[in-house]
Amino acid sequence: MTTPTRRAPRHHWVVRVTHWIAVLAIVVMVGSGLRIFNAYPGFARRGERFCCYPFEGRPIPDAFTFGGWLAGARNWHFAMMWVLVATGIVYLAFIYLHGEWRDLVPRHGDRRDAIQMARFYLGLRRQHPAQGKNNVLQRWTYFAMPLVALQIVLSGLAIWKPVSLWWLTAVFGGYVWARFWHFVGMTVLVLLAAAHVFMVLTTDPYSLRSMITGGYDERLSPEARNARPFHHLLPRWGRR
Amino acid sequence: MSVRDPLRQLARRVIDAGVARLERGHDGAPTLDRRRFLLAGGSSLAAALLAACNSDGPERAQRVLHYAERRNETIERWLTRHASIDRARAGAVTAGNALPAYHISPTVPVWDEATRGPWSLEIGGLVARPLRLSLDDLVRLPKRRQRVNHYCVEGWNAVDDWWGVPVRDLARLAGVRPEAQYVDFQSFDADYHESWDLESATHPQSIVAYAKGGRFLPPAYGAPARLHSPLKLGYKSTKYLTRILFMRERNGGYWSDRGYEWYAGT
Repeated sequence: MTTPTRRAPRHHWVVRVTHWIAVLAIVVMVGSGLRIFNAYPGFARRGERFCCYPFEGRPIPDAFTFGGWLAGARNWHFAMMWVLVATGIVYLAFIYLHGEWRDLVPRHGDRRDAIQMARFYLGLRRQHPAQGKNNVLQRWTYFAMPLVALQIVLSGLAIWKPVSLWWLTAVFGGYVWARFWHFVGMTVLVLLAAAHVFMVLTTDPYSLRSMITGGYDERLSPEARNARPFHHLLPRWGRR
Repeated sequence: MSVRDPLRQLARRVIDAGVARLERGHDGAPTLDRRRFLLAGGSSLAAALLAACNSDGPERAQRVLHYAERRNETIERWLTRHASIDRARAGAVTAGNALPAYHISPTVPVWDEATRGPWSLEIGGLVARPLRLSLDDLVRLPKRRQRVNHYCVEGWNAVDDWWGVPVRDLARLAGVRPEAQYVDFQSFDADYHESWDLESATHPQSIVAYAKGGRFLPPAYGAPARLHSPLKLGYKSTKYLTRILFMRERNGGYWSDRGYEWYAGT
């Protein structure tokens, strides 16, 4: 086994930099977006009712918002959106040009592997399924996040410019629905990110290092440790 | 505020500790390796950001945000010039009295003819023929009826039927001079006004409205006449209109001067 320091970094520096810029940008976008949402915490067109949001009229707690007041939050939102879009373009261009997208695209046999992964996490299977750099559930998540982000950006443009970009607004079913899909997309992205953070902290905390310096010790991978959330967090030096 | 104060205290302490560590490294031999430098420097930077935060975010950021707003305006203007006609969605319910109303004066502004004389709309500034139109004059002009959206900065929209005279017709009547690039819409609701770019103001859907849903405007919705346009967020459409002023330079506005976007296009 070669020493970890001599290996190519697990994540290229472009991926690491865009990852952390995206973290910052998404936190600011979600916080300021929720503050904007609080100015009218509902979706109904005036004089109508909206079918599909049960918490109409109830604002999001201030602790989850950013920007202080409506104008402040809007200014942050409309500035940070370009950071997020630019970061996304750089990241996607990079993984396309470097061929890394191949590792993230769903492929034949994924469903079977996903069932095995789920069985392992649920304790119905003893041994961690064999995997490459990422397991199938990770690959699905990392594949879904840019897609959800794209949906959020497009629906965001649709509610920013419902007159100039009326055709885009129409694609989402009009202003009210575009606003709803923007909110739903945000919720999905936050849930995916929360699941990601949970798995990193409880299953593969050693991968935090790989997203900062790029270094990663394969002997500490979840597969090598046979780790599921909260189980086998410590390395098994002697056994392999 | 009170929740953040302990945070700031903590942040200051972390900065001091980080700086102290860095300085200790500079005194003698290079005791600070790269990892330690990153750790000390990184935590000081993060703490500095935190300390500079109020509820609007870091104070230094305001300049960046303002810059971003101006860059966005360039894009918004380009978009507006290309395709912008608002269409109310088929089947949308007319808002009617569900359209929220507000004013900045303590009470609903009402034009008192006894003290102020008859209401009239003044059209002036960089024009060849300054005008003064009574409500009757306005009603006699060719009218535009439009069923359009009202987009509020808060995030809601409302569909309604508005009757009025397009600002572009008034501009033609008054003979706007070519050097006019901006239009200020002023009111008798305290000092409320908002200035617009000429392209948006003379868009066919930007009208001086005097009726909504087939009735003359009640005081709550800006009687006797107000600006209405789906092309900009609601706060740009001045109610209780008294004066339309064509200008060389922009003139801010009530909400634009208080931190909201000046352009605010839709």
